[in-house]
Amino acid sequence: MSQWLTLLQKELVEMWRNYKWIWVPITFILIGVQKPISTYYTPQIIDKLGGLPEGAVIKLPIPTAEEVLVQGLSDFSTLGVLIIVLSTMGMIAAERKSGVAAMILVKPVSYQSFVSAKWAGGLLLLWMSFFIGYLATWYYTGILFEWIPIADFFQSYFLFGLWFSVILTITLFFSSSFLSPGVAGFCSLAVVIIVSLVSSALSNWLEWSPALLTSYASEVILGKGIVDHTISASILAVFIILILLGFGMFIFKKKELAS
Amino acid sequence: MSLIQIKSLKKSFQGKEVIKGLDFTLEQGSCIALLGPNGAGKTTTLKMLSGLLEPTEGRIVFPHAKKGEDIRKLIGYLPQFPVFYEWMSGLEFLSYVGKLAGMTSKQAKEQSLELLELVGILGAKDRKIGKYSGGMKQRLGIAQALIHRPKLIMLDEPVSALDPIGRREVLDLLEGLRKDTTILFSTHILGDAEEVCDEILFLHNGEIVESGTMTELRERYQQDKIDLYFTGKAEMFAPAFTNHELAISVLQEGNRIRVFVKDLSLARKYFLKMISEQNLPLEKFETGSMTLEDVFMKVVGK
Repeated sequence: MSQWLTLLQKELVEMWRNYKWIWVPITFILIGVQKPISTYYTPQIIDKLGGLPEGAVIKLPIPTAEEVLVQGLSDFSTLGVLIIVLSTMGMIAAERKSGVAAMILVKPVSYQSFVSAKWAGGLLLLWMSFFIGYLATWYYTGILFEWIPIADFFQSYFLFGLWFSVILTITLFFSSSFLSPGVAGFCSLAVVIIVSLVSSALSNWLEWSPALLTSYASEVILGKGIVDHTISASILAVFIILILLGFGMFIFKKKELAS
Repeated sequence: MSLIQIKSLKKSFQGKEVIKGLDFTLEQGSCIALLGPNGAGKTTTLKMLSGLLEPTEGRIVFPHAKKGEDIRKLIGYLPQFPVFYEWMSGLEFLSYVGKLAGMTSKQAKEQSLELLELVGILGAKDRKIGKYSGGMKQRLGIAQALIHRPKLIMLDEPVSALDPIGRREVLDLLEGLRKDTTILFSTHILGDAEEVCDEILFLHNGEIVESGTMTELRERYQQDKIDLYFTGKAEMFAPAFTNHELAISVLQEGNRIRVFVKDLSLARKYFLKMISEQNLPLEKFETGSMTLEDVFMKVVGK
């Protein structure tokens, strides 16, 4: 256990030294708050720029606070995915490629701990950054529009975070399977995009797909509460995470560290 | 007492057999040089012993390891090109590795400082490894191999990448380590092997072609030789010596002909006579016995 904590601590320190603890949360904040702020100020900006030409009857519907927050969330699901993949894809692949993984693993270090400590470090960064970014979004929606109940905020946060965790685990899995971070990143993005597209296109049949956790989170904000299949999708997400993590460890152990 | 026994070890990459069955035993407290030309399989062998590569066939046995004990605890390994987390300082890296090997933070730190002192980079302990020079990285690499007090340290070409001064220092360091550790190190430089180690394994094309202690090898290959230097190319004079009844083998290289002979004093007499009779353009005549380099050329040349 103490060995695992040492490995985890190294991950956290590394993320601090290469500023991941700064740029990832800031990017999440920027992605999130951009929606409420732009939605709120767009009519005023148009006004300031001379207004609409006379006679033009364009009504800008004022969205509700719930709609704004849901849109903010959907921005997370596109750009957030990119950040997760980019910040995770090198975690194992780069260390193995450079040879430093071999330096560490000739010491009596368990391969499972090596992978799982990285996974845990990545998850900590993800949940923290997403929390800060989403909290900022919720806050701006609150002061510019209306306050969304904090319980809804937390419920949607957990559902969304769970889907993000699936993405992170997929990326880590590919990172332990390939030597090149780029290839790992590409495969992860491809898988996530395909799963998301297929799940939303066939949402009537694939209600249990973890990719739909994003829409279930939106339902929570729109006041529909925890809809059917949310639980089954969550359980499946946890299962997928554990299985991919296990496979990742297995492949990492199986693959020869040197050639 | 044997520390590690290697039994018919084989390794193939994509069907190509790189290591073709190695059998050897390392005695506790010995110092063995794994000698061979580039591509002989030295690195692959060390990687298998350190557990980084899985042997295709054969076994590596540590007779003293307890059942189920992680053998990596007993081994310190320095790869040919050691890499580190560049964002860590030297002290941080050593402490990190020490803690991974099961030491407490305090123990790890103390041991790290001690080792940094031993390898002579204590002054740079808080500098980022990214800013270290090649020689400093090599020393740090040796320090990390020693951090958990392993019974066996394996060093892959520890001095090949260093300048003459760094090379000297690392060799002296190895000399110092011999007292309490078993050392296995690979090199393609004969002089280094001869200087530090008392035992040599010659590896060629994935096989051990010759092995033994220095003295054993010298005795086995005790053979007199005569070096003849000529003006210009010596090619055309070689046949005269090859066919000579006293010659065992003849090597010709540039303007030199090296003849290994059965009886030195007799050969000297006959050769000099022959040279003067045929009026060969001799520049220099030298007698001596076989060096390790000759042994090397001989076993590799087979």
